[in-house]
Amino acid sequence: MRIQDQFRDGLITNNPITVQQIGMCATMAITTSLFNGVGMGLSVLIILTCCNVVVSAVRKIIPNEIRLAIFVVIIAGFVTIVDLLLKAYIPALSESLGVFIPLIVVNCIIIGRAEAFSQKNDVKASFFDGVFQGLGYTMILVIMCVIRELLGSGRFGGGLIDVAKGFRFTLDGTGGGIQIFPSDFGASILTLPFGGFLTLGVVIATMQYFLKKSAKQKKAAEEAAAEAARLAAEQEED
Amino acid sequence: MKDNKIVQLALVLFAVCAVVAGVLGVVYNITKPTIDRRAMEKTTAAFAAVLQADSYEEVKISGYSLDQSINSVYKDADGSGYVVESTFSGAQGNITMVVGVKSDYTCSGISITEHSETSGLGAVAASPSEAGVAFREQFIGVGEGVTVKDIDALAGATITSTAVTNAVSTSITTVKTIEGGAAA
Repeated sequence: MRIQDQFRDGLITNNPITVQQIGMCATMAITTSLFNGVGMGLSVLIILTCCNVVVSAVRKIIPNEIRLAIFVVIIAGFVTIVDLLLKAYIPALSESLGVFIPLIVVNCIIIGRAEAFSQKNDVKASFFDGVFQGLGYTMILVIMCVIRELLGSGRFGGGLIDVAKGFRFTLDGTGGGIQIFPSDFGASILTLPFGGFLTLGVVIATMQYFLKKSAKQKKAAEEAAAEAARLAAEQEED
Repeated sequence: MKDNKIVQLALVLFAVCAVVAGVLGVVYNITKPTIDRRAMEKTTAAFAAVLQADSYEEVKISGYSLDQSINSVYKDADGSGYVVESTFSGAQGNITMVVGVKSDYTCSGISITEHSETSGLGAVAASPSEAGVAFREQFIGVGEGVTVKDIDALAGATITSTAVTNAVSTSITTVKTIEGGAAA
């Protein structure tokens, strides 16, 4: 499997959220500010990559009957490590995401990729699968955060960007973000869980529309090529 | 033969668990001092934020009992008030917070030290954001018996808002009980 294909798969054609539609609970719950979205996305990316590599490395020595139990132990181990590290070094993120970091243990993206990909592929391919699937996940989280934050409270980059004392990035979650329009005009329903469902639905629909469109174009191009080849063959026969 | 298989599976699973547990032990020991230090800093900062004082001394309770939600009560050494730490259940789990109570039985400020409320909703109550600060500041000066109707609750987080309000009211009641108990 080529890296370019894996890259396209992870981000677009086999995106964990919009195409595989897994790991959506946390997606809807935490996409309320850019700080949360980027933090959660990167946490999942790191855990997913580590788990993929380890699962792939031990795939030939673990017995098939207990593979799921072993996957869960490995995943829980990495999640706890990330949880402890966040608590110690980025406490603001750990507080902001709260229970959703420990809940990555049961996030189906991680066990889904272990079961569907890394237990059948070598370490290198599994590593890139983890990185690209993680990036695809992060990308959708960021898109959802931007939409919900902007329409819900008229802001961009809440928690991550601080413009009060000149433009700078903050890692302690105190940045107020850039106010694009007054928050009174925002549809605050979008910041509620209900808004998470709405936004996710719209994002998935948009993505599916373009995927179908490009698939149709591809098919049409193939048919045209086949038709041209047939015509050329007929002309030759004449 | 079949027994052998089961023993083999159990051994493999045990080995994996042992390795993971070992790694976790190492990471836990590395991060523990930092996490503990942060918790200490947070408690100290929370105390200072709700009631400014040079030193706090824990009030020993004997002869009477307090509300079960109250964890501990500290008295300002200068006698200007109390800091009450309590745990109430919120929407997702326990909310631990400290409430400063002045000697005239009004709240001098609140600070939430631990919670697991929903990010973006209940979690706003504890966040350093503008909305979070505004939510906490409205408790300054309220007295005993404050209910959630008296304050601007957080949108989408009624249970969190109620829990925080109850904590403030109960903390003030507790201080009254202690003052009464000390006098008696």
